[in-house]
Parts: sequence; structure tokens; C-alpha cells
Amino acid sequence: MSVGIVSGFHLNLNDNTSRWRKNYNLIRCCNSRRNWKKAATQKNYYELLGVSADSSAQEIKEAYRKLQKRYHPDVAGQKGHELTLKLNKAYEVLMEKERRRKYDESIGQMRVRFAENGTLLGYSTWNGPLRPRALFVDENACIGCRECVHHARNTFIMDEAVGSARVKVQYGDANQKIEVSVESCPVNCIYWVETEELAALEFLIQPQPKEGYGVFGGGWERPKNVFTAAKSLNQQLKRQAETGNNQRTGGDFEETSAQAEARANASMKMKMGSVLKIWNWVKDTFGMNANQG
Amino acid sequence: MAEPAYTVASDSETTGEEKSSSTFPEIAIGVDIGTSQCSVAVWNGSQVELLKNTRNQKMMKSYVTFKDDIPSGGISSLLSHDHEMLSGSTIFNMKRLIGRVDTDPVVHASKNLPFLVQTLDIGVRPFIAALVNNVWRSTTPEEVLAIFLVELRAMAEAQLKRPIRNVVLTIPVSFSRFQLTRIERACAMAGLRVLRLMPEPTAIALLYGQQQQQTSHENMGSGSEKIALIFNMGAGYADVAVTATAGGVSQIKALAGNTIGGEDLLQNMMRYLLPESESLFESHGVKEIESMALLRVATQDAIRKLSSETSVQVDVDLGNGLKICKVVGRNEFEQVNRKVFEKCESLIIQCLQDAKVEVEDVNDVIIVGGCSFIPKVKNIVSSIFKGKQLYEGMNPLEAAVRGAAVEGAVASGISDPFGNLDLLTIQATPLAIGIQADGKSFVPVIPRNTTIPARKDLVFTTIHDNQREALIIVYEGEGDKVEENHLLGYFKIMGIPAAPKGVPEINVCMDIDAGNVLRVLAGVVMPGSRQPANRVMEVRMPTVDDGHGWCAEALHRAYGSTLDMVTVQKKA
Repeated sequence: MSVGIVSGFHLNLNDNTSRWRKNYNLIRCCNSRRNWKKAATQKNYYELLGVSADSSAQEIKEAYRKLQKRYHPDVAGQKGHELTLKLNKAYEVLMEKERRRKYDESIGQMRVRFAENGTLLGYSTWNGPLRPRALFVDENACIGCRECVHHARNTFIMDEAVGSARVKVQYGDANQKIEVSVESCPVNCIYWVETEELAALEFLIQPQPKEGYGVFGGGWERPKNVFTAAKSLNQQLKRQAETGNNQRTGGDFEETSAQAEARANASMKMKMGSVLKIWNWVKDTFGMNANQG
Repeated sequence: MAEPAYTVASDSETTGEEKSSSTFPEIAIGVDIGTSQCSVAVWNGSQVELLKNTRNQKMMKSYVTFKDDIPSGGISSLLSHDHEMLSGSTIFNMKRLIGRVDTDPVVHASKNLPFLVQTLDIGVRPFIAALVNNVWRSTTPEEVLAIFLVELRAMAEAQLKRPIRNVVLTIPVSFSRFQLTRIERACAMAGLRVLRLMPEPTAIALLYGQQQQQTSHENMGSGSEKIALIFNMGAGYADVAVTATAGGVSQIKALAGNTIGGEDLLQNMMRYLLPESESLFESHGVKEIESMALLRVATQDAIRKLSSETSVQVDVDLGNGLKICKVVGRNEFEQVNRKVFEKCESLIIQCLQDAKVEVEDVNDVIIVGGCSFIPKVKNIVSSIFKGKQLYEGMNPLEAAVRGAAVEGAVASGISDPFGNLDLLTIQATPLAIGIQADGKSFVPVIPRNTTIPARKDLVFTTIHDNQREALIIVYEGEGDKVEENHLLGYFKIMGIPAAPKGVPEINVCMDIDAGNVLRVLAGVVMPGSRQPANRVMEVRMPTVDDGHGWCAEALHRAYGSTLDMVTVQKKA
């Protein structure tokens, strides 16, 4: 009897075949690792918006607006409600840097963004203008003591998953606080680096999935010496730029915008089908008049 | 609508001018009922057209005069002078009073209007009455609005030569959902169906989106995103919105609103000119009402003149030997209303912060509404935006109603061959919605400025062992304590399985659809179980009716904390 309500209630409408699993989700909601579990069972936000995982905020915004214009209830009627809810959710998460990063981690997407000119986008943001020197934590050496986070909380954060500190905002605190935090590191793993090198360093220090062979290997790895690795990566990028070979190395495949749109439309139609089914059921059962303003 | 159509006899027949209109029968009209003025507009197939009354006015005064039991509004009746309007039989400023209880400071501030507004401070609706033949005839804001809407409807029907049923109304950002239900009720009494209630600045945002679409005939989704700040200050309310527009899609990034407007400027000025005015007029006799009215009219004139002149001579005989003869400078006016202007400033700044937009990122600054003519208001805005040129191309008094008319056409599913209606406004919630938990705390489930449609949920739990019931009290607002917010309704979840405190998981989910309808769902799940322990309750809010001001208090007296809940986890 309460199937319709339950599925509406649990936010998951994309697969109405396994309703017991949905209830299972709800129970996990109170779990501390809620975000991980939830994300794993839901449709990928990138798929929903029909964009690739390394798309920029601008691309996401445009895709979002395009889809809204087609499926917003003002245009598509009440049947667009569920889909628009999901679009809003996806947009909300992907438009915020920190939340997007967490989401990417949770779905196992490593977002490697090579900008047009062949430079890498790093992790940290800048408070104020770009300066010639930047802070960088060698996470291979970091012991996770939290001293730096304690002294300059706006600059460093603790990555609980990896167990090491990281620079979140360059110059996020007053200079003096930053000095103190650098001094306080018991293993001296906080470095002042050239700003040009920062992006490559920050990219390389993120653990990368390691290819496995049968039962051997697998897992995650990062270069032993991140500084030499960054130098060679930078050189490589420079060579690429010179030869005009600016291909993205992050994505597995390239999609033309027409292809992406077609794919998005197709998946949308499938989802709309299931949404409609539930909606009609709810309407029939409860006689809800959804169009009443 | 459940309410029966309520029609009020209107003494004068409105005969519209002959005009061939090519409108489709089902297009909703846009209506802007302001605190002091109102207007109606409709999409005529190619553009927005403002409807005029028989006296060829596009802007009509929002008031209803009660005479010999036959009320008539400002649409059809002709008043010789403002003074007649202020004879005690005319009710106005209803937009400030609708849906408010008599403990509301806004109601208290309305006590020196030239009709009766009486409060008992017990949380019921205030006593509002007009003086008709020396007898107080009581009325309600809903009734006054309904009378008014009937006349607007008759006017529109006569001109468009078709029955009017659907309307898009503009409303202030700061209206609570309870106030929206009162507006809906007034419309129902007038036989109108509300298609959309649009916060005023979002109607202007839609119009702005259309203008941008028309000027740049680029394909949609192209990178030309424009960010606009809209400041709308009328007689009763001040509203701000930040909107991002691209390809005809206007995304409302943040909304902010407050009950400050021209009426506050007027009252502060009246108090300045005649400090003892409130005590003088307290008895509400015929003479006092007349004096009050004269002072009001004279002050209003003075304020208007101060928009173009730097000083003005106020010369008015209030009767009873009271005379005011004073020269008032613009700087005095600005000084007297310093607090109001400061509030305007902070409202704009707050909205920018909520939208996470820097002053430099704003492409266009739009200021509209009656108060946009005041030099100080312009100064405030241009100083925030560092002297940026204000957006031109919008009539400050017509922008909201034009936007409402465009939305009327869009929401009615009308398409335009030139793509002029290829528009969409993505709305946001102006106020947070949540429930009472953790004692008397307000725990928001849907935060302010969430894009709608929206659906969010939070998990709560019981505070007593074997607690079988829990009370869900829904509030709307920004205060940390529930008392600071608007009560929307309450219901009980029953049949919670017996368990130690903190074990049952009470999931409260809120859903707002594109029509701004709020549904609250609540269900209980026991750990280890895979389905709700009881039937999930779904309630459409608001549920409260008049007299709700004391509901929360009564609930607390009756139940104490026996049915309380606490949050299980705050959102990370």
C-alpha cells in the first residue's frame, strides 16, 4: 500500500524495482559514512547532467540550464518534478568545489583537469592574488599530527581518508600563523614551492589507482619522490604544448557535444518513464491535485 | 479551490474601451497588488500590455471604501481628493496587515492609519474596521483584497472580452507561507485561481531575462551569463534578489526581503512633524481621523516633493487648533529615516553574500518600486556598487506586473513564434523551513535560498524511553529559536514502536514543488528493520488557520516535552 509514498520519501526514484533496497538505504542514512553509501547506489551526477567528469563549472552550469529548460515543471508540467529535484541536487553538489571533490572521491572519479594550455589545475585555492611562492605538504612524509591545522586552520585541512594534512587555501591565514604552522611540523614536510610547480605537485600527491594483475598489485599509489615526479611531469606537459598535442589524458573517451546530448536525452527519457509511472500511481491512489498553486 | 466563489456587488459598471485583443482564452493575467497601488497586465500575443481602468489609469490605488454597506474599490470609484479617501470609511495598506496576528510589530505600527486597527496582543487577528455612518464596520484584509480583486477582474474581463480565471500574483519576499494562503483565499473569494505567487523581484528577474534574450539573439546556453541585482522597494516592503541569466533562463541565486517601505518613511516623517500624533489620535473619533488623514496627505506630498527638491514647505491646518508650518529639508528627511535606509543597505549586502556574488561580478543593477525615486535610495545602491550606472529600460512602477504577465503566459504554456516566451525562472526559497527539535530550537530542513523544486530530509529521534508519539511542529523563518519564526502547522506521528530513547529514527522529509506547494512527510524506521514502522504521514502545509499565534504556546502547555524530538545528526 505504501510503496509509492515510500519511494517518494526515500529520494530514490531511479530504480523502483528494488524497493527493499531503498529502505536499506534509509537505514544507512544514519551511518557516519552516509555519503559514501548513498552515492554508490544513486545515479552518477555527471551522467545525469550529461557532462564528463572533468567538465568545468561553466560546462556544468550550461548543461544544467539546458536540461532545466526542458524538464522544469514550469515547462514539462508536474512530471518533471522528480527529475528537476535530482538536477538541483546534482548541480548543488557539483558547483561547490569542496562538495564536488568529496563527491568525486565517493564515486571513485579522479578528476584530472588539463586546461587548454596544458597546465594542471591543482587542489588548493588562493586567498588573494597569486604569489610566486606557495605552500605544499609532502603527504608521503606527513604523519598526520594536525599541528599545522591547529595553527592555521584556514590554510590547512586534514584529509581524514588519507590520514595526512593538505593545503586547502593558499595564504588562508595571516603570514605569522602560517610561519608558526610550518615551524611546528615535526617531520618538516611543509614546503614553500614555486607557484608554477604547485599544480603538478598537488596533482601527483593525490593517490592514483594502481593497475592490478590478477591478485597482485591494485590499490593506490603515489610517486615516492613527488618533487622529481612533478619536474618530469611539467617537462612532459611543456613538450606536449610545444608539439600542439593538447589531448586530455584524464578522460577515457572524447564525446562530441551532440553525442553527449543524445546520450543525455536517452537516459533522461528512460528515467522520465519510471518517474511517470510512479507519479501516475500516486495520483490515482491519492487523487492529489498537483497543479493547484 | 475549496472555498465557494465569493462575489461582492460593485456599484459601478466597468465599461472597457473597445480594443481588439488577440489573446488566447487561457492566458493567465499578471496582477501586482501593491500596498498603495496596483496594476494588471496581460501577454497580448506579442508583448505585455497593461490594462487601464475607465479613467484611463494604469496604476490604481489599492483601497476599498465602505459606504452604506456597499464597498467599492479604487478601480471603479472616483474619489475627488485624497482627503475623502481618508474619512475613516476607506481601508488601505491591507498588504501590510494580511495574515498577521495582533502581536506582530507591523500591525502595531499600523495603528495610526485613519481607520481602526485594534490589537489585544493575544495572537489572534487584529480588529480592523471602517467608520460607516458613525458605526465601526469590521472587515478583514482578505475581504478588502477580495473586493478589490473582483473589481480588477471585472475590469480585465470587460477589456479582454473573455472570462478571467487564472492569475499570477506578485508577493513580497518576506511573506510567510501562511500569508500566502491568505492571498490565495482572497483570490478564491474573488473567483480567481492562483497559478503562481511570484516573489516580486523574481518577476522582475524574468522580465530582465526576457529583455536579455531579446537583445542578444544568441543560441541558448551560450556563455553570456549576466548577473543582476534587483532592489524593489514599494510602500510596504523592500525586496532584493540576485539573479543569473543566460539563454532565457533566470536562476534566482538569493532572495532577501523585509517589511520596510514608503509607509515607514511616511510614519517616521509624521512623527517628526507632529511628535505627539499617536496620543492625539488614539481615540479615533471623526475629528481625529480627519486630522490624521490631513497630516498623512500633507506628509506624503512633502516626501514626494523632496525627491526633486532639496527642501519643502509643509503648511497644514489639522483642525482643533493644530497647525503645522515648517520647512523640511531633504537632509532632515534622510536623518529621520536613517534606520530605514540602513536596513535597505544591509538587505542588499546580505543578499549579495547569500548569492556568493561580489559587487564587481554584478552586470546590471536594477532598482524599481515607488521608493526608487528617492535620491537617498539611489545613493545607497550606487555607493554599494561603487557608482555603477543603474540599469535603464524598466519602468520602476510597472516592472513587477509586467514580469507577472510574462510568467502568466509562460506558465499557461503559451509559446511565441519569436521565442519571446522561451523563458524560465528557477526559483529559490526565501525563508528556511524546518521543525522544532532539540528543545525550542528551530532546525531547518530546507535552508533559505534552496533551488526549488526541492526535497531534503533529516533524521530525528525520541527523547524518552518508550515514547510512542512525536510532535512535528513546522516553522518557517530565519531565527534560531522557534518563537522567532512563523508557525506553519503541526501533526503527530503515532505508533512509534516501544524502544529506548534515541533508537527510533524519525525521518522528516520536506518537498516543495515548482508551484511552491510544501509537503511534509514523516516516517519512523527502527534500526535493523527495512521498512517504516508505521504509515508514512504526508501533510500539505500550512495547516494553521487564524488565531495560530497562540497555537504553539498551547501545545507547549498541554504536552511539555513529552512528545519532543532531537536531531540525530547535523548535516556535515
